[in-house]
Amino acid sequence: MQISLDNFSRVMKYAPLFGRGLVVTVLLSLVTVLLGFILAFILAMMSLSSVKILRAVSTVYVQIVRCTPMMVQVLIMYYLLTGIISFPRVFLFGYIEVGRFIPAAISLALNSGGYMSDVIRGGIEGIDQGQTEAARSLGMTKGQTMRYIIIPQAIKNILPSFANEFVTIIKESSVCSVIGVAEITKQAQNVQSATFISLEPLFVATFLYFCLCFPTSRIIAYFERRMRASDQR
Amino acid sequence: MTSDNIMIQVRDLKKYYNGDRIKALDGISIDVNRGDVMVVIGPSGSGKSTFLRSLNLLEIPTSGQIIVDGVDITGEKIDLDKFRQKMGMVFQHFNLFPHKTILENLTIAPIIVKKENEETAVKRAMELLDRVGLADRAKAYPVQLSGGQKQRVAIVRALCMDPEIMLFDEPTSALDPEMVGEVLDVMKELARDGMTMVTVTHEMGFAREVGNRVVFMDGGSIVEQGTPEKIFESPESPRLQDFLRKVL
Ligand SMILES: Nc1ncnc2c1ncn2[C@@H]1O[C@H](COP(=O)(O)OP(=O)(O)OP(=O)(O)O)[C@@H](O)[C@H]1O
Ligand SMILES: [Mg+2]
Repeated sequence: MQISLDNFSRVMKYAPLFGRGLVVTVLLSLVTVLLGFILAFILAMMSLSSVKILRAVSTVYVQIVRCTPMMVQVLIMYYLLTGIISFPRVFLFGYIEVGRFIPAAISLALNSGGYMSDVIRGGIEGIDQGQTEAARSLGMTKGQTMRYIIIPQAIKNILPSFANEFVTIIKESSVCSVIGVAEITKQAQNVQSATFISLEPLFVATFLYFCLCFPTSRIIAYFERRMRASDQR
Repeated sequence: MTSDNIMIQVRDLKKYYNGDRIKALDGISIDVNRGDVMVVIGPSGSGKSTFLRSLNLLEIPTSGQIIVDGVDITGEKIDLDKFRQKMGMVFQHFNLFPHKTILENLTIAPIIVKKENEETAVKRAMELLDRVGLADRAKAYPVQLSGGQKQRVAIVRALCMDPEIMLFDEPTSALDPEMVGEVLDVMKELARDGMTMVTVTHEMGFAREVGNRVVFMDGGSIVEQGTPEKIFESPESPRLQDFLRKVL
């Protein structure tokens, strides 16, 4: 096997494909974090609820997500969703196939939400019990206390984890290539079959993932430091 | 004394933890009258905090009744949040909301609980803040205040809800000694203005000077109660005598 500049220049003819893959990966990850956050929040609220059924459902869900492989989850969601709904053959920007993108985003979000619900719960439970007592003693309801007192403080602890989750999802979204979502990994495979070059396309993909993840995690770390500094106001 | 002078009637209040292994409160019965400045004293673990926190049901009693303005608030279908509005509470560790400015700390409950408009809430908050000498810190955040200042703000926060009674749980215990006075001064002024108060404290000077009733608790029960003179000059029970020997 040869890694050659010649191979690279042949692969780079397909730069637009990689460009599209990059866009898909970023979009997919953004949608996933947002949906995942909402789901994680709901799961966290359920697990903190005084209703036993809600707590149980939340626990069971989280355990199922954690104890099964992500690729299987993605495959199941894909066949399940495309079995129930017949997605129109619509392409966003001309190249994002909705019928694959949506199942991918949903299954990634279902997975991410399961992992992140504990982070949210921890963030909420980490707020001093005295805050709740003070709020309740002022006549605030449970809901008002959560909304105005606890969650705004918890968000600060939670946000960095979600930014980091974004980086994780960028990488994990590569499993969506198995259901044909044309993200970076899938595009690398496409280039492989078009050029019969196996290694170089993957190097390009690796480079793209790194260029997405490394700066993002640096930026997060920077803001985290800033936020901690402002706490010592 | 007429019965409409009674503000809170506590009847055989019990609070057990771990089944019935820990009897934090073991049958407390007492009346709090309008205008009372009741001081609760007793050794650590005697149930003082539990008693105070039960009065606004931050702690749900195991059994017994708490009757406020004729209504048993331990009953089932009670709008607890409504009752808690009538009772201000001040904590040992202040519990100010760190993500809000001092002014926001004071106005949030009036605005979202009582649906007051912001102007009214701000106006009253500023007046009260001025009375405790902190009007110039309205825009500051809690971390920027000293302990004594925080506690004065916490008192004002409770007052902004126009409570009928104020509950204090060791309000000066977490303070540096030089800051105890400024907080006690605010409490004395409140008492002079006729506020009904129940205060758990180790400040025997405050109890003597400001209190009209002193309650001595031990082992989850009220062992002795009476005027400050009676409690401090002629304590009857050996446990109180022993306690006073240690703290005075
Ligand atoms: N959540 C709880 N779980 C178990 N036991 C508790 C709990 N809260 C209080 N207790 C116990 O109840 C008893 C009374 O506690 P409480 O806090 O009312 O005492 P206190 O008189 O306020 O003491 P201190 O002066 O130390 O504040 C103690 O034995 C305490 O250990
Ligand atoms: Mg206590």
